[in-house]
Amino acid sequence: MSDRVYFEDVEVGQTHRFGRYEVTAQEIVEYARQFDPQPFHVDENAARQSLFGGLIASGWHTGAMLMRMICDHAIAGSATVGALGFDDLKWLTPVRPGDVLSVETRVKEKLDRPSRHGVGTVKIESWVFNQRAEAVMTLTSLVLYQRRPSP
Amino acid sequence: MKYFEDVRVGETATLGSHTITGEDIIAFAKKYDPQPFHTDPDAARATIFGGLIASGWHTCAIMMRLSAEAAQRTGAVTTGSPGVDSCRWLKPVRPGDTLTGRTEVLEAWPSRTKPIGFVRSRIEMRNQQGEMVVSLVGLTMFRRREGSA
Repeated sequence: MSDRVYFEDVEVGQTHRFGRYEVTAQEIVEYARQFDPQPFHVDENAARQSLFGGLIASGWHTGAMLMRMICDHAIAGSATVGALGFDDLKWLTPVRPGDVLSVETRVKEKLDRPSRHGVGTVKIESWVFNQRAEAVMTLTSLVLYQRRPSP
Repeated sequence: MKYFEDVRVGETATLGSHTITGEDIIAFAKKYDPQPFHTDPDAARATIFGGLIASGWHTCAIMMRLSAEAAQRTGAVTTGSPGVDSCRWLKPVRPGDTLTGRTEVLEAWPSRTKPIGFVRSRIEMRNQQGEMVVSLVGLTMFRRREGSA
């Protein structure tokens, strides 16, 4: 178990690049029909007439895709137990069908407070990029890490 | 239709309700947030949460759904959002919870370059016990009335 990354092991400034998420029109429409049924997310024709000029993913869908890439590449091996939330989320560029997304994370700050559950909070900045290296979304998450159990 | 000019700072509105099932929680999490406390009821019991809980991204998706429905009801002419200042998942959301949303306009200002205005709102959702489960402050873009400067 000693190879797991605990709160004590996290260092400010650490960066990590990972993920490859291929965005399809079908998935954009499927997510949006369920959660964000605005014309530019669910209707190809209406989307062409909108100021976006075509179908774009719901911003909350992009956040969900970021979460999936974090689960697949960053959480395994980390002693994380969820997150309190996030700050400074910006949707910077529309995400369109055919885009291939990836992630870069950087540890911004450790909040070292005593806590009932033996956890500490780590502020992690995430950037989502498309295949043209354009940033499409950024946010700063407040991630809960377990403290290393005493021997 | 509700344009930017019709938005009043301080106005509040309810967003309707949504009941979440265990199946919904697992289906969303298998696709977007496959951690044991979101996908596996048995494994979830052994965690600090004591049982299955919804992904925070699922809770936000439900909030988006309720907001979109409310916008449709009021005829709000919105064109998306540039971002969210802050979002806190305050209490776990569990199978069978009924979430009810409420929104309050904090600030509104016109764009200098585009025929839109920005509206900063607080959106909160509470469960059937009245406990706040999520609170966020975010921006929405509204179209301005045709012909306005």
